[in-house]
Amino acid sequence: MTENISNCCTDRTVLDKIAAVARNWKGRKDMLIEVLLQAQKLADNAITEDVAEVIAKEMSIPLSTVCNAVSFYAMFSTEKRGKYIIRMCKSAPCHVKGAEDVIKAFEKVLGISCGETTSDGLFTLETCECIGVCDRAPAVMINDEVYGPITPEEVINIITNYRQRREEA
Amino acid sequence: MPKVYIDGTSIEVENGTTILEACEKIGVEIPTLCYLKHLNPAGSCRLCLVEVKGSRLLQTACTTPCAEGMEVTTMNQNIYNARKLVLELLLANHDDGCFSCPNNGKCDFARYCMDYDIEKSPFPRNKEFPPVDESGEFFTYDASKCILCRRCVRTCAELQCNNTYTLKGRGHETMVGLPFNQLFKTSNCVSCGNCVSVCPTGALSTKSGKKYRDWEIKKTQTTCPYCGVGCQIELHTKGNKVVGVEPLDGPANNNLLCVKGKFAYEFINHKDRLTKPMMRKGGKGSPLEEVSWDEAMSHIAEKMLAIKAESGPDSLAGFASARVTNEANYIFMKMMRAAVGTNNVDHCARLCHASTVAGLATTLGSGAMTNSISEVVDSDVILVSGSNTTETHPVIGAKMRQALLRGAKLIVAEPREIDLAKQAEIFLQIRPGTNVAFFNGMMNVVIEEDLLDKEYVENRTEGFEELKTLISEYTPEKVAEICNINAEDLRKAARLYAKAEKASIFYSMGVTQHSTGTAGVMCTSNLALLCGKIGKYGCGVNPLRGQNNVQGACDVGCLPGDYTAYQKVVNPDARAKFEKAWGVSLPDKPGLTITETIGAIESGDIRCLYVMGENPMLSDPDINHVEHALKKCEFLVVQDIFLTETAELADVVLPAGSYAETDGTFTNTERRVQLVCKAIEPVGDSREDWDIINELMDRLGYKNNFSSSSDILDELAGTSPSYGGYSFERLKKEQPQWPCPNKDHPGTPVLHIGKFSRGERAIFKPSPYIPAAELPDEEYPFVLTTGRVLYQYHTRTMTGKSEGLTNIMGTSFIEINPTDAGKLGIANSDKVKVASRRGEVTVEAHVTDKVAEGILFMPFHYKDGPANKLTNNVIDPIAKIPEYKVCAARLEKF
Amino acid sequence: MEETRILLKNIGKINPVSSADYVAAGGYKGLKKAISNPEAIVDIMKDSGLRGRGGAGFPVGLKWSFTKGTPSDQKYIICNADEGEPGTNKDRILMSGDPHSLFEGMAIAGVAVGATKGFIYLRAEYPYLLPILNDAIKDAEAAGFIGKNILGSNLDFEIEIRSGAGAYICGDETALMESIEGKRGEPRYKPPFPGVSGLWGKPTIINNVETLCNVPQIIDKGAEWFRSIGTESCPGTKLFTLSGNINNPGVYEFPMGVNMRTLFKEVGGGCPGGKKLFAVQTGGASGAIINAEMLDMPMDIECCAKAGAVLGAGDLMFIDESINIIDVVENLIEFFVEESCGKCTPCREGNTRLLEFVHKFKDGTAREDDLERLIEIGSFMQVSSLCGLGQASPVPVLSAIKNFPDKFIVKSDERGQN
Repeated sequence: MTENISNCCTDRTVLDKIAAVARNWKGRKDMLIEVLLQAQKLADNAITEDVAEVIAKEMSIPLSTVCNAVSFYAMFSTEKRGKYIIRMCKSAPCHVKGAEDVIKAFEKVLGISCGETTSDGLFTLETCECIGVCDRAPAVMINDEVYGPITPEEVINIITNYRQRREEA
Repeated sequence: MPKVYIDGTSIEVENGTTILEACEKIGVEIPTLCYLKHLNPAGSCRLCLVEVKGSRLLQTACTTPCAEGMEVTTMNQNIYNARKLVLELLLANHDDGCFSCPNNGKCDFARYCMDYDIEKSPFPRNKEFPPVDESGEFFTYDASKCILCRRCVRTCAELQCNNTYTLKGRGHETMVGLPFNQLFKTSNCVSCGNCVSVCPTGALSTKSGKKYRDWEIKKTQTTCPYCGVGCQIELHTKGNKVVGVEPLDGPANNNLLCVKGKFAYEFINHKDRLTKPMMRKGGKGSPLEEVSWDEAMSHIAEKMLAIKAESGPDSLAGFASARVTNEANYIFMKMMRAAVGTNNVDHCARLCHASTVAGLATTLGSGAMTNSISEVVDSDVILVSGSNTTETHPVIGAKMRQALLRGAKLIVAEPREIDLAKQAEIFLQIRPGTNVAFFNGMMNVVIEEDLLDKEYVENRTEGFEELKTLISEYTPEKVAEICNINAEDLRKAARLYAKAEKASIFYSMGVTQHSTGTAGVMCTSNLALLCGKIGKYGCGVNPLRGQNNVQGACDVGCLPGDYTAYQKVVNPDARAKFEKAWGVSLPDKPGLTITETIGAIESGDIRCLYVMGENPMLSDPDINHVEHALKKCEFLVVQDIFLTETAELADVVLPAGSYAETDGTFTNTERRVQLVCKAIEPVGDSREDWDIINELMDRLGYKNNFSSSSDILDELAGTSPSYGGYSFERLKKEQPQWPCPNKDHPGTPVLHIGKFSRGERAIFKPSPYIPAAELPDEEYPFVLTTGRVLYQYHTRTMTGKSEGLTNIMGTSFIEINPTDAGKLGIANSDKVKVASRRGEVTVEAHVTDKVAEGILFMPFHYKDGPANKLTNNVIDPIAKIPEYKVCAARLEKF
Repeated sequence: MEETRILLKNIGKINPVSSADYVAAGGYKGLKKAISNPEAIVDIMKDSGLRGRGGAGFPVGLKWSFTKGTPSDQKYIICNADEGEPGTNKDRILMSGDPHSLFEGMAIAGVAVGATKGFIYLRAEYPYLLPILNDAIKDAEAAGFIGKNILGSNLDFEIEIRSGAGAYICGDETALMESIEGKRGEPRYKPPFPGVSGLWGKPTIINNVETLCNVPQIIDKGAEWFRSIGTESCPGTKLFTLSGNINNPGVYEFPMGVNMRTLFKEVGGGCPGGKKLFAVQTGGASGAIINAEMLDMPMDIECCAKAGAVLGAGDLMFIDESINIIDVVENLIEFFVEESCGKCTPCREGNTRLLEFVHKFKDGTAREDDLERLIEIGSFMQVSSLCGLGQASPVPVLSAIKNFPDKFIVKSDERGQN
């Protein structure tokens, strides 16, 4: 489902924006994660090799250092992802409250498996570990928004809302 | 000094000593995988677990510091079980194809498994691995053999400071690899192989290693034959063949090597090695034919004696070698002086650091690195000018980067944006040939802003007032104009250098190879003296010598004006001393330098030239001129390991043994004398250099009493104050730096402490900036500068035999700025014709902003597109060094 | 049973961003006192008996005294807001509802030990807290509570927020520091401890959000007041997060020592649908899974430990009779497989092996020696792993084996061939 999203070439204007962010932190290795989080938002929710190279160059840090961080933290991806990242919590408190059924509902509604992106590039479905809303289990985060507790039946409405949001935009 | 109990044995240790180090002291072996001396401990493999009384947890011996009263148990059933489980867990995902593994027989991991009674892991494999990366020239990476100790990653990041490796994924998925989908070939890997040397399994292994096993090789400790760093290595030989090189923990290299030292040993057993003496039996113009040693030697002796008889001893000249041992150079120099009777002996130091020897000897009294290599790691500020250190002295470059990791600041003043420039606090991209102005500008700021060390200047120097007068003209604005830099950057650099507690200057040929080379060198010492930074740890003026033994060749007297240890031939006392030692009378006037010799051959004053291990046909400036001279030379003898471009012109060619086939010593750039040990017998009928000269001297009528090179070092020590303390016996145990006047002297890591070599005071030698002899004009609008690359060495007689190096960087090129390239319609990789007033060559263009507009750069190593067809042979009036670094050139698309 | 709202007293009652609101509710009085006598603070903290609320329970005053006693040109205060333990979300409540109490606690720590810079390491899963925290920091700076010359004194204390990017391990103090430095969040070996050599090698205090939020009122009201709440060994209140099969999930504040049964029944309202409680996991994913029969347990560090449970960060996940306990254990180990950093061998390799054995129990193919091997590996990981993650990750499975032996059925008389 990700075939139509190229992983190699990030748009030049996007790279320029990322370069501008990274340049502010030249030599500041400690700001790498911050820069990566911002870059990812600008570049299809992914740190592809060309993005990483721009960051490494502008921050004057080795590419391997960038790669070290990107491959460690769950929030980063080297594969381009959808506009909305659906991150369904699968940690124990959500698990015992039926998270698996909700994941299945998402898969069905979106027509993709976990880890995949819809062909329109709108949604990427992922599972994740605890998102800290155990009092609202089972819970899901879609980009920065939290939903919970949710039932498998509610999934279709949530997705429809996002699709509408896109159309409005 | 805490006292700890290890298995009941008490031991007192320094504060901060780890349990592992304490165990080592009392001979208790603890197994380790991730631990490695010189690396920060990781504590990650967990194999060195021990019990510490009072702790619920097992502790890693490699990270846990000893504390007062600590009771440590290093082995019991618990510990055994835990270590065994660590190994079993690792083994589960370790490919067990040990049969074909190059590490078979020396694998730490396999040995530990054996120690802990493991034949196979009780756990199934549960990891998938990427295919083996075979893209590199010299080694392969097989992740399925990796046990994730990360020694490679840490060595590359902490010691080599190249940061090629990355960790991919986390948790169980964690793997060592390269960023994204890179392979070694497409990554920033510099093929130093230090990762391979530290790998405890066969995950990283050399390609050549597939063909031999540890138990069938002989290991010989010796000194690397490449640059002047003097890395200690272990040569691995199978039969009479060198099959591998491992780094040793030498004082200069601490287990590091570069790509040349680690991998470029193919030349030793190369099929092109000279194995038989050769002669042009039919005279000039006839082909070289193999002859016996006796025939070759008697012919040489006959010709030399005849020429000497006809035209006097000064009609003969000899070029010694910066590549061969001190012993071979000493006996060669002795032959020219004592057996022939001329001071016409020189070597290629003339072409690299003659200005250093002349300049620093004048200002300080000694023309060598004032400080030690290891000190750079502790410097607060490092000023690099005229040295592309990471390529030409890679291990010193790595140590500079280690210093940066520890917070040191770097100033780079270079015409090219070399790799170090990227990490520099201040990078000043000066025009080629403007070093003197740059240093004068630095001093102007120091004086103007009152940053000088007044007490030091007052008590330890002379000539300050003259300096001050001259320097006052070199305002930052004026210097900025000359050097094409920013005045404010210059000010910042001067402040940074002057205010640092420990600041060292490193320079190389970018400072020396100018018609004002000696002035440039003296400027470095002027600046250091002004700031009180000579004679102190972590400071100094440090010329980096280009070749393995160029320091030694100078030290042992292969200079037309100097006997050993810089005793002057014009000094009657020195001459008397050597006349007595050698039992002959000696000429009192200095001989001719290399450049003068070429001229003297041309004019017919020199009729015979004996070249030992040099290749002036590529290394000298204006080689069209050199070729003309050498062809004209009545009798040319070349003693070398290959039929070099120079040897091809010789009347007699003698096959010499390489460094792997001889015993002797090299003196590295920090004045450290280290042993070279014979690992294999000389190939074919070749003979050791010293042995050839020894016999020839006999035939010339001078009888030595040498039966080994050890005897030669003993004679050398006897006549040379700074070498007085050296002998083979001592050098096996320790390698002190000269001056080392006697057997009990510990050597001298830092020169000029308290007192200068030249006397109480050093002298300022103010030097005005004089532009290079040949400047760009309408006809030749570019400035061409030359230099070296990481992957080649000198004229490639050795590195050219390495298939891997040839694949990486096998052809000549010229660097040109994108703007200039654009104007001339030149694209990257285009063939271009480069011309100067002396000749022209055709090479490939590398379009890069490493060079500024108007500047061209070419490496000098290559026979195809030899840069020295273009260079200017104008020389420095004092040191007679040619101006390799600046000439005017033009280029066009081929 | 009524909550004892000391930490939660302002939640929902004040505008979280406004320092004026916080002051009106009695805030920043502790900081004023601290500035008037910085020397006394560490002793007050020692006297208060406050122990870390992040899970390890280390005495706060003692921790601070290490940093205070280490001379350095720069010291740091880090707030560990990487609340990643599944079943815990108390810190989120505190930060979203009363961030100034956290700033005040950090500033007091800074004043006490001579640190001028504080970091809040906020987990990436709480991005919506960023605007609140940033606005509140700006407000506090404008009002002079943090920043340069706080409260007109000659003391500085700046606070900066750093984001995580999704790694449970960054809740480990040294992993968190690595992460702030921009590296992989891999724990460092100890010693040296952060108090002496922490962030960028400088002496660093690192405390959990809840711990720091306790500080202002301790300094304001005194150690004696604080000790009057809770138990002898664990004074003060504790925030408990109830999750899982429970009618009233949420965060509640009670004095240390409150009975677990009270939390389950009276506060949590029991299991939904009238189902029977089967088990409770205390202390988060790495905590023990105990039998429902062990419900009568006073919740403080010592009592929990004595009973083979873990107080941890005060999380209680209730599991009703409909849930397969092996399935829960499997989920928990999968969590650790996912979240292990991969640095040390026992944790990196051990967790996957634990999971393989648990799969065998789930499939019904486990043999006697599988159980032995599982326990052996788990026990080995507890003593040989580099950090708390690997040391604690076997706890759920080992405690489940102990407390629910009949669920870990092995094929008797069949031993594996390996």
